[in-house]
Amino acid sequence: MLDFLFSGWGAFWMTLFMLVPFAAIFFYVVHRKSVTDSGPSTTAGAKMSRLEGIWLTVVFVIFVGVNLGSLKYMPTMKAAHAATSNQQLHEIDFSATSWAYDISNRQIEAGSTVRFSGKSKDTMHGFAVYHPDGRMLFTMMLMPGLKNPTTLVHTFNEPGTYKVRCLEYCGIAHHAMQDELVVVKRS
Amino acid sequence: MSIASTIVQNTPIFGKMFSVDKSTGLEEINAWPALMIMASFVWLAIAGLLGFVMPVTQLFDMDTGLFYTTLTLHGAALAFPFSFQLMMGVGLHRSGGCVGKPVTGWLPALAFITMNVGAGLLTVAVLMGLKVSLMVMYPLPLVGAQMGIWSMNSVVLGFTGIYLVLACMILCYPILMLKMTFFGKKRPDLVLAERSLNDPGMLGMILSAMTLLVAGTPLVIVGTTVMAALYGIIPMSMAAWATEPVVFQYAFFIFAHNLMEAMALMVMSAMYATLPLYLADGTRKLFSNKLANLALWILLLTSVTSFLHHFITLYPNQPAGLSYWGNIMSWGTGIGAAISIFTVLATIWQHGLRAEPGIMAVLVGWVLYILDGASAMVTSNIAWSYQLHGTMWQSGHTMTVILSMSIMWMGVLYHHYPVLTGRKLDPMLGSWFVRLFVVGGLGAAISMLAGGAAGMPRRFAAWNQEGWMVYGNLTFFFGAILGASFLVYAYSLLKSREISSPLGQQVAAA
Ligand SMILES: [Cu+2]
Repeated sequence: MLDFLFSGWGAFWMTLFMLVPFAAIFFYVVHRKSVTDSGPSTTAGAKMSRLEGIWLTVVFVIFVGVNLGSLKYMPTMKAAHAATSNQQLHEIDFSATSWAYDISNRQIEAGSTVRFSGKSKDTMHGFAVYHPDGRMLFTMMLMPGLKNPTTLVHTFNEPGTYKVRCLEYCGIAHHAMQDELVVVKRS
Repeated sequence: MSIASTIVQNTPIFGKMFSVDKSTGLEEINAWPALMIMASFVWLAIAGLLGFVMPVTQLFDMDTGLFYTTLTLHGAALAFPFSFQLMMGVGLHRSGGCVGKPVTGWLPALAFITMNVGAGLLTVAVLMGLKVSLMVMYPLPLVGAQMGIWSMNSVVLGFTGIYLVLACMILCYPILMLKMTFFGKKRPDLVLAERSLNDPGMLGMILSAMTLLVAGTPLVIVGTTVMAALYGIIPMSMAAWATEPVVFQYAFFIFAHNLMEAMALMVMSAMYATLPLYLADGTRKLFSNKLANLALWILLLTSVTSFLHHFITLYPNQPAGLSYWGNIMSWGTGIGAAISIFTVLATIWQHGLRAEPGIMAVLVGWVLYILDGASAMVTSNIAWSYQLHGTMWQSGHTMTVILSMSIMWMGVLYHHYPVLTGRKLDPMLGSWFVRLFVVGGLGAAISMLAGGAAGMPRRFAAWNQEGWMVYGNLTFFFGAILGASFLVYAYSLLKSREISSPLGQQVAAA
């Protein structure tokens, strides 16, 4: 379930999870206190304070819980793990120039963990890798003029053709800045 | 008669919506704000039309260059000369009446000129070919000129326009606000509803002016250096440090992020000030002023450094530690929001609400703002940022934050309108505006977020991949409803009626 939560659609449902109950309570309170009965309520101050405490506690617990749960899914954590363990990494270096990529190796064996390292040679570019089923796996931001590359560690398990797209607007042919990676079955 | 009133009076159609009331002796508070508000609606009309062109170019497979031109103009017009200028106009009107000082002299004139001339120059530059999007994407303007995609002249013109707009937002407006609050003599005849700094309705205005000044200063320094080099006042080599992409990008986002937060602080404070006026039992009191102020302070303190979430996917060039900090601070703003949610709902619960269109627009704008806040927090989490950055999620977030704040100001404007113009707005049209807005605003926001969740790239003139067109069509559909709601609003401004009740009552109610 956490795998789903920390995907793009998981983000969507998380946002709705924060919106829908709030919107429902909002429309209930407004309707109740403007149409049904707009007179002052007799709810005691102590009860309001208790409600306030409960509300803020629930919010705090959800916020902390979600962020702790996300740790495992942060590429920054995966990179730190790869650096400290003896994990075998398949290195792929690339550079971006308007509007194409120069990639050191476009073929990856299924099951291998890849470290992508990329730089931009002219303006801001992105490097987003899409699963063959169309969802986005990750994106990287490439800023020109930096000494070190932007890096990311990712493990590819399913064979197929993975689309690469630039997600940082880079001028009139930005949408055509695409490439492909191929994940093949382990021989 | 003020030059501002004269301009309003002589503007076709839009001038009729905002012709200034001079019978109450309040022209010194009314004139410049009325002009700014009127100009903001002119820009909204332009931005709205451009908003439809984008999906149309995609539906009919039209020129991609047209898509990027409209993308740049639509975003820029919506964010600055519409949204910020509307806020500036209504905000100055509020402040004038709260502290009893006139909105006159060269500063409001300068704020108006820098904003509108700046936005005009940028528009011309974009029409000359400078397609760089709302965010400029530095160093794209220079790289594009080197590649011959657009001319260096368009870059110089565009930068000059942006520079003027920034001068308005970072210098003219905040200085004017601070000057009105802390300097000059109070004129009892101009006091409409006195407020002190302990009042959440005033605190937010000052916090936000300070935020704009402080967060904008690095960008002013960097921008001035770049401009001086572009105009040949200093040699390019002396501006080398400022033209470094990393310097420019960080200076830009420290400001751009805090600009949104400053506008949020301001609109929250306007809501805290307006809501009590519409309480059914006439108490004119928030559930708790202390809680309201606490929410504003939390919002301010957490938001200042949360801009780091813009660069999470730049790792390790932005060290992980800074990204974690940006992540935590972004969710911290959610605590401030949770407190304000409680304050607003508890206030309505305790005292009842007179659900007039103005306050309802403020409240539904605020609901949309909360949705936007949730989407912003989610994408500021490091794990989610890697899956959402650069997608339509971000466009949905940007559009929604601007839209929600603007609608809140349009709601507050209902309250100021009788003082400004001596006329009142039709409540039936008002409630249609609010209803259409709820459907259009929420629908467009959720459609764009869904597009982002599905991986649909933003600022991308090829929607017809991986089935993304459906999100484009949905956004188009709800955008049309949104457009209808604005048309109803504009119609109600055109059809406003003279106030029949004695004006004194209206003024006192403000
Ligand atoms: Cu690119």
